[in-house]
Amino acid sequence: MTSTPPGRSPRPRRGGGPGEPERREIRVMVVDDHPMWREGVARDLEESGLRVVATAGTGTEALARFPAARPDVVVLDLQIPAPNGVEVTASMVRDNPAVRVLILSASGEQQDVLDAVKAGATGYLVKSASRAELLAALLRVAEGDTVFTPGLAGLVLGEYRRLSDAPAVPDEPDTPRLTERETEVLRLVAKGMSYKQIAERLFLSHRTVQNHVQNTLRKLQLHNRVQLVRYAIEQGLDDDLER
Amino acid sequence: MSPSVSPSGTADPASWAVESSMYRALAVLRVVVLLNAIGLGWYRRESLDHPGAAVAVLAGMAVWTAFVTWAYAAPQRRRAPLLVADLLVALVAIAASPYIKGDDLRATLPGFWVMAVVLAWAIHWRWQGGLVAATAVSVADLAVRSEITQTNYSNIFLLMLGGPIVGFLSGLLQEMARDRDRAERSAAAAAERARLARVVHDGVLQVLALVQRRGAELGGEAAELGRLAGEQEVALRALVQTQETSGAGAPAGQRDLAMLVTGLQARTTPKVEVAVPGNPVPVAGAVAEEVVAVVRACLHNVTDHVGSDARAWVLLEDLGDQVAVSVRDDGPGIAGGRLDEAAAEGRLGVSESIRGRVAGLGGTATLTSAPGQGTEWEFTIPKKGRS
Repeated sequence: MTSTPPGRSPRPRRGGGPGEPERREIRVMVVDDHPMWREGVARDLEESGLRVVATAGTGTEALARFPAARPDVVVLDLQIPAPNGVEVTASMVRDNPAVRVLILSASGEQQDVLDAVKAGATGYLVKSASRAELLAALLRVAEGDTVFTPGLAGLVLGEYRRLSDAPAVPDEPDTPRLTERETEVLRLVAKGMSYKQIAERLFLSHRTVQNHVQNTLRKLQLHNRVQLVRYAIEQGLDDDLER
Repeated sequence: MSPSVSPSGTADPASWAVESSMYRALAVLRVVVLLNAIGLGWYRRESLDHPGAAVAVLAGMAVWTAFVTWAYAAPQRRRAPLLVADLLVALVAIAASPYIKGDDLRATLPGFWVMAVVLAWAIHWRWQGGLVAATAVSVADLAVRSEITQTNYSNIFLLMLGGPIVGFLSGLLQEMARDRDRAERSAAAAAERARLARVVHDGVLQVLALVQRRGAELGGEAAELGRLAGEQEVALRALVQTQETSGAGAPAGQRDLAMLVTGLQARTTPKVEVAVPGNPVPVAGAVAEEVVAVVRACLHNVTDHVGSDARAWVLLEDLGDQVAVSVRDDGPGIAGGRLDEAAAEGRLGVSESIRGRVAGLGGTATLTSAPGQGTEWEFTIPKKGRS
């Protein structure tokens, strides 16, 4: 296990919304096997003032172009030719823990979405989201926020429950658990409430709500990494993984 | 024997594989009974009338054993001429016995070696083949004997039984191998179809989503097209997610509530977003159907009172023995003092009916609403229903 915490320290918030001139250019990579879609998204993003530094149609292409392109955000489809979106997410986040991965999926196959989030993705959107929604989500992900859909919140709630229901393993005291407040916030997200509405209802600041939501993902991602490293050590692969 | 009695003659890899295995076993048996015949011939060498002829016949049997071991190994060589030749060799070996051993014959020179050809026929031509070869060998054996003892009768009786039985088993094994092959092929085909369906669905969903997005941006007639594409996209995604969760299945008498609730996303009014756990949520069948019916009633109510543009969210949680279901809308909500007004509008009537149905399942229902926060139903229902 490395000593760096898996939760990446959120970057300082950049002021303003899209279109403000002093905003630092956000470097984006678009990975999708559907050319029409890939180009459409790339064009939309460029028209909105973002810089699309690379596109890729397969997992192999994506991983090959990733190091040189150095994107801040990767917009990633899960259903791509091998390696799939989940593996690509895990690999990119391992190479550069500062990269943000926004999953943009057409069918939203649940287990895949959950696996991608556990592998390190911090945002999820279905493809039918409007251009404005995509842009807003991308900017939030770039700032270090997590972008949840109600469906994803339901999956994450279910995953925590599954982990806590699983028979306790003696040498595994690190099963992640949600605090009461986190559960409360996550349930409201799953009910389709915006962070603003949740903040109003629970008398919290918008930022606090965001932090609670981020924590729920961080704990899952940490747990996932601990599991992977433990597995690697058991299999005698730790020499390869040390970095 | 006509080919129609011999389905194993058709080019069926599964049957061939079974036959090949059985012929390999038979090759071992042939060597054992050959060594037995040679040993007995050597032991009785003093009583032979024509030892030279005995050596010649035994050598011929050895050569023939080697030849048929090679010949039976390949499916394309296992044809009538080979099997008929095999039988003739055995009959000749039996027929030569009186000349070699003298007239008071107690045992033929090939002895048990002749059972190999009976089994060879049984393997290839099933019970009919076993019966024909056993009869031919038995008749030849009886014809060369001067007297028939109890032991001779027993051997022949066993041969006549053994041939058809081995033939029957051979047929059975080949059919089972074919069935297994067929089952494996259809399972592989189904898996491939499912994989292709995923790819196709994903592609269709992508295009529908794209049309929806571009349509909305272009406006006018394109916007209408976009709206239609959006409806189909929602319906297809609900179907894909439903199929995906149904794979795990629920135990007998239970239904996967997560799958049923996910199916509600196909509705167009109100637009529903569903959140469920990733795992199946097995619930008693009748309870599952009633829960879905109650959720439908709530959604219907949303359309009636908030409007057809309303959005709604359904959350399903698995609490172990119970499930928690919440249905929320983005309507204006109801202020506390306006409940009477709501009652007057008939809204409470529906509420009472929903409460009643949930109580019928042994669960509890809570209605929360505040101005600007929409209206939200929360149900907690035992998985087994009212106990």
